[in-house]
Amino acid sequence: MLNRKKAPELQNIGNIDFVKPHVYDITEKCHLFFMNEVPNDTSRIDLHFDAGSGLGELGIASFVGGLLFSGTAEKSSIQISNELDALGAFYESNVAHEQAMITVYALKENIVPILRIIKDAVDNVSFHEDEVQEMLNDRKQKFRVNMGKVSFLAQRKFQEKLLSGTPYGRIVEEDVYDNVSISALKRFHKENYLNGLTKVVLVGDLTQDEVDEIIDITGAWATDRKQEFATEFKNETGTHEVLKSDAIQSAIRVGRILFNKTHPDFIDFQVLNTILGDYFGSRLMSNIREDKGYTYGIGSMVAELHYSGYFLIATEVAKEVKDATIQEVKYELEKLKEELVSAEELELVKNYMLGQLLKSADGPYSMIDLYMGLEPYDMEMEFYNRSIDSIKAITPERIRELVVKYLDWNDMTVVVAGS
Amino acid sequence: MIHFERFKLENGLTVLFHKDITTPMAVVNVLYDVGARDESEDKTGFAHLFEHLMFGGSINIPDFDAPLQHAGGESNAFTSNDITNYYDVLPAHNLETALWLESDRMLSLAFTPKSLEVQRNVVIEEFKQRYLNQPYGDVWLELRPLAYRVHPYKWATIGKEIKHIEDATMEDVKSFFAKHYNPSNAILCVGGNFELEYVKEVVEKWFGEIPSGSKPARVLEAEPEQKEFREKLIERNVPADAFYYAFKMPERKNAGYYMADVLSDALGRDKSSRLYASLKKEQKLVSEIGAYITGSLDNGLLIIGGKLNEGVSFNMFDKALWEVLEKLKNEIMDDTELDRLMIKIRTAREFQEQGLLNRAMNLCQFELLGDANGINEEHEIYYSITPKDVQRMAKEILKPTNCSLLKVKSNQNAES
Repeated sequence: MLNRKKAPELQNIGNIDFVKPHVYDITEKCHLFFMNEVPNDTSRIDLHFDAGSGLGELGIASFVGGLLFSGTAEKSSIQISNELDALGAFYESNVAHEQAMITVYALKENIVPILRIIKDAVDNVSFHEDEVQEMLNDRKQKFRVNMGKVSFLAQRKFQEKLLSGTPYGRIVEEDVYDNVSISALKRFHKENYLNGLTKVVLVGDLTQDEVDEIIDITGAWATDRKQEFATEFKNETGTHEVLKSDAIQSAIRVGRILFNKTHPDFIDFQVLNTILGDYFGSRLMSNIREDKGYTYGIGSMVAELHYSGYFLIATEVAKEVKDATIQEVKYELEKLKEELVSAEELELVKNYMLGQLLKSADGPYSMIDLYMGLEPYDMEMEFYNRSIDSIKAITPERIRELVVKYLDWNDMTVVVAGS
Repeated sequence: MIHFERFKLENGLTVLFHKDITTPMAVVNVLYDVGARDESEDKTGFAHLFEHLMFGGSINIPDFDAPLQHAGGESNAFTSNDITNYYDVLPAHNLETALWLESDRMLSLAFTPKSLEVQRNVVIEEFKQRYLNQPYGDVWLELRPLAYRVHPYKWATIGKEIKHIEDATMEDVKSFFAKHYNPSNAILCVGGNFELEYVKEVVEKWFGEIPSGSKPARVLEAEPEQKEFREKLIERNVPADAFYYAFKMPERKNAGYYMADVLSDALGRDKSSRLYASLKKEQKLVSEIGAYITGSLDNGLLIIGGKLNEGVSFNMFDKALWEVLEKLKNEIMDDTELDRLMIKIRTAREFQEQGLLNRAMNLCQFELLGDANGINEEHEIYYSITPKDVQRMAKEILKPTNCSLLKVKSNQNAES
């Protein structure tokens, strides 16, 4: 008779084989990272530019990023879309604080022809007034829509208080869409795209000739200059409120400046972060969702910057329980300080994290993303093997030590947006 | 080509096995043939509330998630108007843990009154977060009852109103489980680097003894043919006027479904699409516009949605929109345009099929339609579509008498 009360035997995860991409020099400092073991016809290319939103006047980086395919003297934006779609390209441009990126997903046989079209489009953007105005109008409308969301209001205020005093803490207001000089756009485009390529990431079962061609096409954009990033961070502590009078839920953000993976406490803090709020069975989920029913979801995370990083708890809760929720978050932090995590809970989290690491190393696309997470810090894949060892070895006492060191309520920036 | 094996247990459970030697992970996907369309009109939102309760413990296991996390895995689920789908992703060597958990909650649930109360609250907060506390969030709550008068697609998966969720009782929940959650109403797919014999053995071990139950008959009232243009205007505190044109389209098993899908791509999938090129780029009437289908098993909807630019009236836009639609009906599209749509469809498919979880889910969904091998035949159906087919479908569905229009008017300017 089958004993259903007893869980099946578990096997531990042994070694994970972390694979490095092939590295090619486009120039001395600009590299192409290539992962070719793809068992199907898919392919991806990421073009990284030193064109993040921390650079230039407020808004400029984001506007230029949105205008990269807006037409040249020879081709309208519709023609460019037509050509890219005719090759089955799924493409987008993204602008983050510290870099901008063009990403293309396509079948491998189309990746080089697509790149040629993109090269021409980006090289020769004409910043036609109609296109610029249309983009600004669209952005303004999106901004207004976002300002109707408590999650956006909270995130915005949090960014301002967390990253205050750095270019990343600058907050967009509606008037930014009204005063844009086309010559400023052109200048940013020339400096940060045409001479701003910092790296290329390529995945797909491509031939050496195709890789060489990609290096050839992108080479003209490559830059050897050292990227400049914000170095000093200090979050403004205390509670900051944003009023939205008709909101029926409040958005809450709690966090602080922390560190990135170059810090010796980084891996162990990941374990603490998981226990607290980074999986379905976390302390925050168990208490605030699964016991109290205050929210659809609550979670915590660690985000990395080039010279730093930050810790963040985020949720949206019924407006009636916003204060109660903050009390419970405080309570969970206190509890981690006062009571050691049980051996049982810690073992569960360790197994869970190792399983997730195995998953995040599954397949060429995931593998190169793991590698690219290390590359900005000049770290090697060995980091992940060390992570496995650290996760396996961590003790409840070490967790408590980290809570005391990093999760003091007085160090937190707290934001509440709602009615 | 996606290979799979199929076998059936004596209790009626259909099992698919998809072998993938390239991954260290395994997927267990369980599709239950029950969705919001199986609810009664006075108790909506039930299939979805129930999905939440499925994580509240089963007859022999107090907590669903913890043992799976302990095995290095994770789990989630979704509910649509048609189906409820649960999935577990975990290291392959711990496959049995997922089978143990999924089989026990198919056998019998054991959640407490407290877990019902908590999940009611969680779902109510989900309702608020996604549908009430967002600009344009309630559009589907308004559009569905406009487009459907009889068929249960007239309510959203989350439910018609919060009250239905508040009123859910233990009795309701128990009878829902008894009716819909049994082996003959489920399709299981195991994906990963295993041998068929092993999969048969462990699936039989954990699922074999579950009593079969009977597959509930689905008797839904068909939506009568729409014969008139429908229109509704709502005013909301949103920054821009928005429009949602909903056209009835063929059911999933009909060849016309695929034609309508291609038609929606031609209209508004990408920046090269007709609506985007004409109404946004050339005429500058909208800030955003797109077209897509709901993908429903019964007669679904082709939606054209977007937001108006400041100073553009609903009427101005309406006139311009119908001109684009009429052109598609009156002039056959050239092969270049169709080729462009097809390469997009093929590329998207290749990327979707990359993921083991996607493959396992899709195999179950095609099995529900009649044969899991449909996953390998679908692209042929797409590629056989001709410009004439697209035109015929356009003529058939893109007409005012088949259209329900929801207009969301901004009341922000009125205030200032």
